Amino acid sequence: MNTLNIGGSQLDASWFLILGAILFTIGAAGVLVRRNPLVILICIELMLNAVNLTLIVFSRQLQNMEGQLFALMSMTVAAAEAVVGLAILVDIFHVRDVEDVDELNEMKG
Amino acid sequence: MAIAIFFIAAAMAVAGAVGVVSFREPIRSVLSLVVVMLALAILFLLLSAQFVFVVQIIVYAGAVMVLFLFVIALFGPSRELARTRLRFQSWLSGLFVLALLGLIWAMLQGVQYRQPDKGVDLSVFGTVQAIAVGLFTTYLYPFELTSILLLVAAIGAIYLSRKRIDDL
Repeated sequence: MNTLNIGGSQLDASWFLILGAILFTIGAAGVLVRRNPLVILICIELMLNAVNLTLIVFSRQLQNMEGQLFALMSMTVAAAEAVVGLAILVDIFHVRDVEDVDELNEMKG
Repeated sequence: MAIAIFFIAAAMAVAGAVGVVSFREPIRSVLSLVVVMLALAILFLLLSAQFVFVVQIIVYAGAVMVLFLFVIALFGPSRELARTRLRFQSWLSGLFVLALLGLIWAMLQGVQYRQPDKGVDLSVFGTVQAIAVGLFTTYLYPFELTSILLLVAAIGAIYLSRKRIDDL
């Protein structure tokens, strides 16, 4: 049931899911390790892409279009998130150069 | 054939993801992410999601990544310093990430696959028509709501990047 017949070859759906898990964890590692706010945004995009892969794998396995529709919605949300995140960063970069997210601590109570 | 394509695309994606995390210059991270997105687009095509494949290349690898490149080009390639405020941060992060991967892995072992839906023609699965039928019938309201989301994001971006009075 979990094997996908693609062009005559049998692929296991769990291969795709494991690839998605690996990409997601690499993105999470980037968010934790990197200091540059731009690179952290890039790593969040990577995590969103990994989730999209999972949605599309399940869509194909269930032969149901709804997974692909939801992947499109999540792409829209990711695009909006990138636009607003980059606008905030540009606004901060106008004032000063930020090399480390820890420097952005003005709102700390 | 499909198996070879899968493993080549998966290797490309993982190599690109490692590049995103490990390159010191932000511009190289962005270009590595483009590699990841193109590899994922190949996988989407393999999973017969033609429309999502095209959108992935045009919107993600095209528009969103160009946006990132613009910001990096405008504000200089600031190399990242190899210093952290917290001691053992990279070790703790590695531990956390391994735990996360192990948890997801353990959850994947217990996935119960449902029987595929009946009566679906795989030759038209994931085409523009199939997507449009879903978007304009069952999911019309979420589709219209995303337009409001995009409008809000655009207005927010314009507001954030406006010229301040004291700048003039």
